[in-house]
Amino acid sequence: MNARPSRVALGLVPLVAGLGVWQLLATSDSPYAPPPSAWWQALTQMQEAGTLLPAVASTLETVAVALAVAAVLGTALGLAIGSVPALQRALGPTMEFWRTMPPPAIVPAAALLLGLGRTMAVVVIVLAAVWPIVLNTVAGVRAIHPVLLESTRVLHVPPRTRVLQVLGPAVLPWVLLGLRVATPVCIIVTLLVEMLTGSAGVGALLLQAERDFLSAQAFALLVVVGLLGLAINLVVLSLDRWVMLRRPPRR
Amino acid sequence: MRAELRHHAGGVLVGLAFVGLWQGAVSSGVVHYQYLPAPDAVVAAGVRQLRDGALLGAAGHTLVSALIAWGIALLVGGALGMGMALSAPLRALLTLSVDLLRTLPVIAFVPIAALLFGLSRTTEVTVAAWSALWPIAVNTVGGLEGVHARLGEVGAVLQLGRARRLWAITLPAAAPLMLVGARLGLGLALIVTVAAEMIANPAGLGYEIVQMQQALRPDAMFAYILVVGVVGLALNAGLQQAAARAVPATQTAGGRS
Repeated sequence: MNARPSRVALGLVPLVAGLGVWQLLATSDSPYAPPPSAWWQALTQMQEAGTLLPAVASTLETVAVALAVAAVLGTALGLAIGSVPALQRALGPTMEFWRTMPPPAIVPAAALLLGLGRTMAVVVIVLAAVWPIVLNTVAGVRAIHPVLLESTRVLHVPPRTRVLQVLGPAVLPWVLLGLRVATPVCIIVTLLVEMLTGSAGVGALLLQAERDFLSAQAFALLVVVGLLGLAINLVVLSLDRWVMLRRPPRR
Repeated sequence: MRAELRHHAGGVLVGLAFVGLWQGAVSSGVVHYQYLPAPDAVVAAGVRQLRDGALLGAAGHTLVSALIAWGIALLVGGALGMGMALSAPLRALLTLSVDLLRTLPVIAFVPIAALLFGLSRTTEVTVAAWSALWPIAVNTVGGLEGVHARLGEVGAVLQLGRARRLWAITLPAAAPLMLVGARLGLGLALIVTVAAEMIANPAGLGYEIVQMQQALRPDAMFAYILVVGVVGLALNAGLQQAAARAVPATQTAGGRS
């Protein structure tokens, strides 16, 4: 993050050099590997046609809603499982199966049962992205010093206060760590759902570009998707940093 | 082993109870979704697909594709990681580019690969290998860099050559984390293989799932989904066993994806 500019420049050399060579070697009407300048043209064309921004907005909205739901649900599940060992033993194998289930496989089932639409998308994305948050929250509850929990019991702290003022703050850094792990999963599954259901969004746009053999458009959208992913990850990372500056470190 | 069995018994029972509840709810008509089959219908459909050979063929295709992709990723990712860990100039040159490339959502590469290689197995394997090579490379770098400096000094005291030191000291010390990378990579390779089959290459388990969905045969679709889950579990468990036998310290190492 705080690397010196010269180092950053050096680290970008292979990428920039690769794109430069590509630009020089490819002809602008190449059907398979159009040069970066053609990507830019395709991008401005999509922008003028008015398809680009609504798709980006739709993808961002799905990711944001799914991340929020996964965070709330994952924290609640993690708190419950972490504080009741019997619950962990009871749900362990079932959770393990869901966790290792490749998310793409669930999409068609959800599409049949819930229909196409944002509800289905969010359900599938949450099913894939909730696990890192659950596991980290469980680890966070385990890491709380037992004396802290015992003293709340001795002092007869009501459950509500215990969760909001003792468990919550202690677990928060772990939840955020889980959120950071969940973010890339969330983005990937969002794009996948868009591709498979042809709903609004950058994923659907990208697949359509491929099916229409508009390779410059496809490469341009790949760059858009990459930047989008980078931006979302940075937002989550800075949320984590912001909270961590006000909180004791994890572990 | 016995204690472990007893420890998991309750959890397995809950899983079975869940399946029983599903069966009861659907066959008694309490829950009625047009496309939600009961577990017995799913099993029956699975057996039918198994009998006519469709299931084994599809599972074989997916498994072979994922394993080829994983093998390529082990070679490329391992070499990349070792190069970056052992040569400071190379690391300075590559780290940022690698970080940018590996955060690109892998699914976005499926249409690109389909453009370049057509709707073929090459597409499937290329994308899966691409996704699997990053955790392998990152954990190889992490594993090699995490080797304690003392161990290097031991090598120096024993007057071992550079190659011998790498082979006899550094690599074994880095192995646990490298194996974690390999395991993450295998899981990703399978996921991306299935996804690529759904979007690009009409073959394998991913294609069958989409196919059954579109044919409105939810029982067969759920059977294929179940098979994907079982293949994932089996691959993960198999590799974990093999790794635990090869390097006993593996269990304790946490990796980065």
